[in-house]
Amino acid sequence: MLLVATTVVVGTGAGVSAQRPPTVAAAANLNFALTEIANQFKVDRGTSVEVVFGASGTLTRQIQDGAPFELFLAADEEFPNQLAKAGLTRDAGVVYAVGRLVIFAPNGSPLTVDERLNGLARVIKSGKAGRFAIANPDVAPYGKAAESVLRKRGLWDAIRPQLVLGDTIAQAAQFATTGNAMGGLVAYSLVLGPGFAERGKYAVIPESDHRPLRQRMVLLKRAGATATQFYDYLQGKTAKAILRKHGYGVPQ
Amino acid sequence: MCDVADRRLSVRILQRSPIPLDLDFTCDPGDVLAIFGPSGSGKSTILRSIAGLYRPEHATIRADGEMWSNTASKAFAPPHRRAVGMVFQEYALFPHLTALGNVMTALGHRPSAERRSRAEELLGLVHLSDHQDRRPHQLSGGERQRVALARALAREPAVLLLDEPFAAVDRTVRRRLQDEIDELRRTLEIPLLLVTHDFDDVVRLATHLLIPTTAARSRAARWPI
Amino acid sequence: MDWAALRVSLWLGAGTIAILLPVGIWFGRLLAIHQFRGKVLVEALVTVPLVLPPTVLGFYLLVMFGARSPLGQAFQSLVGQTLPFSFEGLLLASAIANIPFVVQPIQRGFEAIPSDVRDAAACCGLTPWQRFTRIEIPLAWPGILTAAILAFAHTLGEFGVVLMVGGNLPGETRTLSVAIYDRMQAFDDRSAGVMAATLLVIAVGTLMLTTTLSRRVGVRRG
Repeated sequence: MLLVATTVVVGTGAGVSAQRPPTVAAAANLNFALTEIANQFKVDRGTSVEVVFGASGTLTRQIQDGAPFELFLAADEEFPNQLAKAGLTRDAGVVYAVGRLVIFAPNGSPLTVDERLNGLARVIKSGKAGRFAIANPDVAPYGKAAESVLRKRGLWDAIRPQLVLGDTIAQAAQFATTGNAMGGLVAYSLVLGPGFAERGKYAVIPESDHRPLRQRMVLLKRAGATATQFYDYLQGKTAKAILRKHGYGVPQ
Repeated sequence: MCDVADRRLSVRILQRSPIPLDLDFTCDPGDVLAIFGPSGSGKSTILRSIAGLYRPEHATIRADGEMWSNTASKAFAPPHRRAVGMVFQEYALFPHLTALGNVMTALGHRPSAERRSRAEELLGLVHLSDHQDRRPHQLSGGERQRVALARALAREPAVLLLDEPFAAVDRTVRRRLQDEIDELRRTLEIPLLLVTHDFDDVVRLATHLLIPTTAARSRAARWPI
Repeated sequence: MDWAALRVSLWLGAGTIAILLPVGIWFGRLLAIHQFRGKVLVEALVTVPLVLPPTVLGFYLLVMFGARSPLGQAFQSLVGQTLPFSFEGLLLASAIANIPFVVQPIQRGFEAIPSDVRDAAACCGLTPWQRFTRIEIPLAWPGILTAAILAFAHTLGEFGVVLMVGGNLPGETRTLSVAIYDRMQAFDDRSAGVMAATLLVIAVGTLMLTTTLSRRVGVRRG
């Protein structure tokens, strides 16, 4: 009986969504960068898009389940490729940015930051290690990269009991910066965001320590004109400058 | 005579469970039939069957010149289509309505313009005019009983059913109420059934007596014998 | 303050009540009045959403109605969109999750009416519909009102199932509770704080309303 009532409501309400601006799914590391680009897009082109941030894996799953996104900016290449293979995208898409990982420690933390994670090794050895935040490697590419960095430095097993996993890289950054953890491995683009400079210190992790965080975006099959416009805009000069400002590498 | 036959109540009930019943009786207009027995003997069930609130396994109930129940022919008139007035053991007044409102509820068969005045008249009959705007919780036990009676009479019933009407009131109030019922039956000219476990009621009011028993088919007898 | 999110939350609350109250009144009354074999099982089933983690409900809805399921695909070809990630899907999830909050108070409301009173109404010549509207509803309305208020407040607080089934789509499935989470992830604590305070005020307000109502009703009944 409930299902019948809902179907009636759906049938009559289906047209309403048509007027809304297109929804773009974006990996959480793009929080500041993409918001700025979308605002600039509105100024330059006069139309807008709505952005929903989440973990790439979660967003991929939602798209597979029918979520009405028109453009997907992932934090890696595997998730968009998965969607392309399933026939849900227009094409294979393009790499729009390359991300970087940083190790972050909030003010007052016993952890000292450096690109080789010596500070982390030291605090673990001292027995004074508190919680350490990374994104969930299953759904967030930045989390997967964090895991490979920790493994490379031989610290994965030792730090494992101390890990807190954020469902997205943004949540991991939250844990790392609010003093609930002694620090974490988070996205460079997030610590460059407003208000972060005063909260603690960070060191950028060398690219050679993990597989490159090549971030690919794809247009979904249902993408309309505005979404396509935005896709092109993201590959243009203005967008690239903004991405660079937020710590990303951009393809030439 | 045709007239009396039309207004006679005739009841035939046969049932094995949940309460075993085997009855065959009639009640003429102006008679007061007391149904007497201990609790659990099925007295209330008999009243409820006549009112249409309960459907026994086998029943044939005729009243008001109509067939109210007949399990053989599957005829059954629901309670709201039987001209029955019933006073319940705990009065069952509508708590959200005033005494007047309660009585007016039973006057649906009258044109709406007349309902209020007729209800006031009925409450006057049971000597409750002063309290007609009170809610049941503002009335005493005896007063509630009168409202229940007025409401039952409002229906212009073909049969009046009283279920342990004096169970919850004290001696003096009981006396007064018994006298009023006695007075009523003289003016009403309809069959009146009274369920009670107090023999005093039988003595003071009954013209006939029925004691439900499973030993044999129960019939009504004239009272006093 | 995300006004679109507030609107979605309020519509979700209102829509849930609109769907559940008629169902609840019919069903709650049925449970209050009738005895039947298996009634205990039915009553237990009604309570299940209370103890079910919202994620379980979300999971089943996604699996049964997502674009990958046959039912979901059929639905999509019929209506043009999937049930999850739509406001309507959220409404369905919310309705299911709120069944116990609606059915139980209404059942109690009808149970509080002595069966004698119902019988007396029949003996007064009232048809079943008249009994329902003139006697039962006026006596059971506190239960019905409590059900409406509880379901509304509970809907406003839903989070897990909204996130799983709704997908946080602005203006469509981003409720106020999800918007708070969203703003926190975006490091916008100020917005999150404003919205959290709003939800708190609404929650306290509805509780005060229920308490005042029940007190006032108590006085009327004596």
